[in-house]
Amino acid sequence: MIEVSSLTKTYGKKRGIDRLSFTIGDGEIVGFLGPNGAGKSTTMNIITGYLSASSGAARIGGIDVLEDPVAAKQQIGYLPEQPPLYPDMTVEEYLDFIFDLKAAKSGLKRKDHIMEICELVGLKEQVKRVIRNLSKGYKQRVGMAQALIGNPEVLILDEPTVGLDPKQIIEIRNVIKGLGKNRTIILSTHILQEVSAICERVLVINNGQIVADDKPENLSALITGDRKLSVRVAGPQDMVRKILRGIDGVQYADVTVQAEKGSYDFLVEAKPNVDVRKPMFMALAKAGYPILQLKSMDLSLEDIFLKLVEEKKKQRNPQNKAPKKVSADAVLNVGGAAPEFPASDSESKEDEI
Amino acid sequence: MAAIYKRDLRAYFSSPVGYVFIAAYVFVMNLIFYITNLLTGINQLTLCYTYMFYAMIVLAPVLTMRTFSEEYKQKTDQLLLTAPVRPVGIVFGKFLASYTVFVIAQLLLLIQVIVIAAVSTPNIAVIVGNYIALFSAGAVFIAIGTFVSSLTENQLVANIATLAINLFLFLMDYAYTRINVTWIKSVLYWISIFRRYNTFYIGVFSVADFVFYLCAAATFIFLTVRVLEKKRWS
Repeated sequence: MIEVSSLTKTYGKKRGIDRLSFTIGDGEIVGFLGPNGAGKSTTMNIITGYLSASSGAARIGGIDVLEDPVAAKQQIGYLPEQPPLYPDMTVEEYLDFIFDLKAAKSGLKRKDHIMEICELVGLKEQVKRVIRNLSKGYKQRVGMAQALIGNPEVLILDEPTVGLDPKQIIEIRNVIKGLGKNRTIILSTHILQEVSAICERVLVINNGQIVADDKPENLSALITGDRKLSVRVAGPQDMVRKILRGIDGVQYADVTVQAEKGSYDFLVEAKPNVDVRKPMFMALAKAGYPILQLKSMDLSLEDIFLKLVEEKKKQRNPQNKAPKKVSADAVLNVGGAAPEFPASDSESKEDEI
Repeated sequence: MAAIYKRDLRAYFSSPVGYVFIAAYVFVMNLIFYITNLLTGINQLTLCYTYMFYAMIVLAPVLTMRTFSEEYKQKTDQLLLTAPVRPVGIVFGKFLASYTVFVIAQLLLLIQVIVIAAVSTPNIAVIVGNYIALFSAGAVFIAIGTFVSSLTENQLVANIATLAINLFLFLMDYAYTRINVTWIKSVLYWISIFRRYNTFYIGVFSVADFVFYLCAAATFIFLTVRVLEKKRWS
């Protein structure tokens, strides 16, 4: 359905996106995951024909966006980062205008089609209201409704849940999931959970390049793998530390903070591919120090990018294994405590030594 | 195109811009009509039409300043440029909306002809000639304003820059009357919107001048389309 081949966009000397290539099949829900400025919006703007690529091509249903823009745009519903709304119109007037703009020749029945979409995105009660007076959540829904007019086969949603409250986020996610049953959807986000909640496939983009293309479950397994745990244990600090360090498979264990009176939080890191939860429970139970809380430490998005980027570098230069390995481990070590710690620093330190 | 035309025309009248433009234009022009015709008892409307022509220098920018600037500011240009509409359709829809407001104001001024007809005999040929000139020159002023508006997201900048261009064209006309070097004179005549009005002013329909106005308007519409297309490459 969507075919992107070596898409490059340069802004002066800087490359916004760099030789990006991917294919998205019919009915797939794909998430673009990446930090701000990674090139997610640029890619979406090129696919929708708002921007032109410096080189490379984007095809929607086999039609090149540059060669036949009108036919390509006919198949796309686009919700940009900031919903493109006219604040002085009512929701109904606005959607009416969009219908004229996009679907006048589609043969759809205007009133029924608009009402159907309003019901789908939960706007039915708001149709008579002026857009200026709507809350951010409702404005986002109007933006979504706008993208759906004309029943496009492809939906491109740029950060559809940004700035919404948790309840609205869940509602919008459900709407997207429902829409994905018979449409191809690309959505961008910088929230990992969002991708796992909605998408069947994730493209991780960093610095204008794809660093990973996988199912969300595989991706989370790759990046978390239950290696880091936070454990709250009731018992004397030194004894518990000693027991934890004595467990087979534990690479690192130390106290982080005194949680309640007589209990401490420990950060425990396991060796790769070892599950230390059971032996840890047994050892502490045997010693009579109960575990009050046990949770795995999720990596922050920054850590994930650093890790994926490092993995990619490793794949490219397998002969340079030694320094890369050190830096990847360094990243993992600092991951939970200081997410912003850049990998390049640890690399340069390594070089100095 | 029809969708954009409809929306823009409605936008003129859901904000004060359309009303202010029409009210200001009609009020000032009727005041001039009162002074130059009713008070003096002259039944020729040509002086009035000259004033209308000059009023466009100031009023056309008011009409066109928000055409594209507002879209850029609200980021709704993203909607228009990703919709299955060609840029020329977007520009034409917007141009025609502004032009319609101008035509409405101009038609309201036909009341002057009715007043003259009630008390005397109006010179229909001169009136028709002047109206054709005003409608075609108006298209040029609105096309210039639309073009300038497509260059900036700031309405005020669009307004002032359009005003500056119109004043420049007006001064070129003044320079034409003062300069005696033939080739400069012919260049100035070539670009002067105002000079070409003179043939219509005396009631002569000049095809060449009419075509000049249409070409000038088409040029600025074309340039606006190019600006929209170029935006994608920035």
